[in-house]
Amino acid sequence: MRTGFKLHRAHYGWIEVFITIILVLFALTVIVPMCLPLLFVFKTQLEYSYDPWSLPKHITVKNFLEAWDAIKIGEGLANTLLVSLGVVVLAVPCAALAGYVFARYHSKVTEVLFYAILVCYFIPIQMVLIPLYKFNIKLGLSNTLLGLILPMAAFNIPFWVLIYRSFFHTLPKDLGDAACIDGAGHATTFFRIMLPLASPATTLALLLIFIAAWSDYFLSLIMLNDQKLFTMQLRVSQFLNAYGVDRMPRYAAAAIISMSPTVILYIIGHKWVIKGTLAGALKE
Amino acid sequence: MVQSIQIFDPIKTKKTAKRNRAIFVSLCIFPSLLFLVMFMYYPIVETFRLSFMKSSGLGQDRFIGLDNYRKLFVSEEFRAGLVHVLTWAFWSIVIQLPLAFFIAFSLTFYVNRVSKPMRAIYYMANIMPSAITAMLGKFVFSPNNGILNNLGNQFGWDWLSNMDFLGSERLAFWSVFAVATWAYTGFPIIYLMARIEQMPKEFKEAAELDGVTGWKYAWYILLPNLVYPLRILAVLCTIGSLKLFDLPYMMTTGGPGHATVTLGISLYRQGFINWQYGRASAIGVIIFLLSLIFTIIQFSGKKEAA
Repeated sequence: MRTGFKLHRAHYGWIEVFITIILVLFALTVIVPMCLPLLFVFKTQLEYSYDPWSLPKHITVKNFLEAWDAIKIGEGLANTLLVSLGVVVLAVPCAALAGYVFARYHSKVTEVLFYAILVCYFIPIQMVLIPLYKFNIKLGLSNTLLGLILPMAAFNIPFWVLIYRSFFHTLPKDLGDAACIDGAGHATTFFRIMLPLASPATTLALLLIFIAAWSDYFLSLIMLNDQKLFTMQLRVSQFLNAYGVDRMPRYAAAAIISMSPTVILYIIGHKWVIKGTLAGALKE
Repeated sequence: MVQSIQIFDPIKTKKTAKRNRAIFVSLCIFPSLLFLVMFMYYPIVETFRLSFMKSSGLGQDRFIGLDNYRKLFVSEEFRAGLVHVLTWAFWSIVIQLPLAFFIAFSLTFYVNRVSKPMRAIYYMANIMPSAITAMLGKFVFSPNNGILNNLGNQFGWDWLSNMDFLGSERLAFWSVFAVATWAYTGFPIIYLMARIEQMPKEFKEAAELDGVTGWKYAWYILLPNLVYPLRILAVLCTIGSLKLFDLPYMMTTGGPGHATVTLGISLYRQGFINWQYGRASAIGVIIFLLSLIFTIIQFSGKKEAA
């Protein structure tokens, strides 16, 4: 007979082992395609076509150099970095300010405006694409990085207004009142007291907006025509079209080069990435 | 003396306080609002307007009523796109959600040293930019040199080495679909895991005391409590399918023929290759309306559940 509250996990037995094995297999399907290029990248084309699956005999870095040249990834990285930083710098302060006001200054007007902003979160980007493109031409922003940054910042704002609003809701109301009694104005209260307290939300916003801007493909494809301005994702897809897989070692090198910034960022920040993603998803 | 009275005039202080507050509030909201009016509200209205116009960027726009929509529904490309995204939505719900449920349940139920770091691994594919996912997809599925064909060669399995994963009308759709499943199942997994972990601990303890085994626990206790989150995921899957563009476009550019055309690809072709802004806008409106319908279905479902 089992004795009440002592719950131990031993009785799962072989089922647990079996399921863990299945889980490991699934995890491998995720990981293996990302790691497999490593097997090919150090080979010459000849070595590869002769015996693709063996371990490389001598290590050559020529493929990396070739892939680097083919994608011109240095320029691409710089553009992507510029775009991502631009979007973050524009979107995060806007979202923080608006979120704060929606959390702390209730009135009928702010309520209506909040929903007016939130609704935009549900608009698919395809719905606004054509006018945005024409609008950019009218403003003289077509084919500039700024013309990409501005709409991308706008797309990121609604979601983070929502997150900031619910975050500022969780802070005790007395804090603001106390500051007010001490003679701090609205702006001082926000910048000196509230914003520092919201730093967890700000960290998530910085990271996730950065990743979103970093990963974008569709909008960049439409807004940028000039090869020089191409972001990394555009260059990757260009490489796919131009070279394809006909020379596997070079292809593998290109995959590794373009994958590594994201992988490194994810290894460092995966906890925040997952936390931030869930913070949004669980709000509904 | 008189001056000091003026300063502490309560009515006046209250007025200035009110004014200050209003100024602060509007200053805070203004930037966000400006962004969204310029890059959301204005384009939304404009898309609706354009969808009733013949507009090609050159010359004057001309009002043609519902002609764009009519033309779309007889065009093979658009119809293929519509069928594909709906098929895609159906299969991604049928495949991704049970898979995600199984994994999320297993990871939360059998907590051990192996399963603990797996949440991060499963979510990893999700965070990859779509260009890189497409790159890895081509790496696996490309003809001749791709990993799968190559493996077929290696083992002398002709059926595998002869499969043209991206080039044949029969297989291309499913190859892209497989890559998408690889990339996007991570989100339902971490989302369901979070939902399961939010449930009261007593659920699991009581089940264990009653000797309810893993499967029965998943089926009779977890699943009924996850109906609403699963419904949200289904809607997200559907809306994601409607918007689908990056992966099929980069892997097959919609081909061969119309085999992997989606609504997004159809929009892109109409708008930026044929320069038919009006028709492209009409596709945008259709995508918008369809996702609106599915979102409304979700919210009405919520009321029923409550």
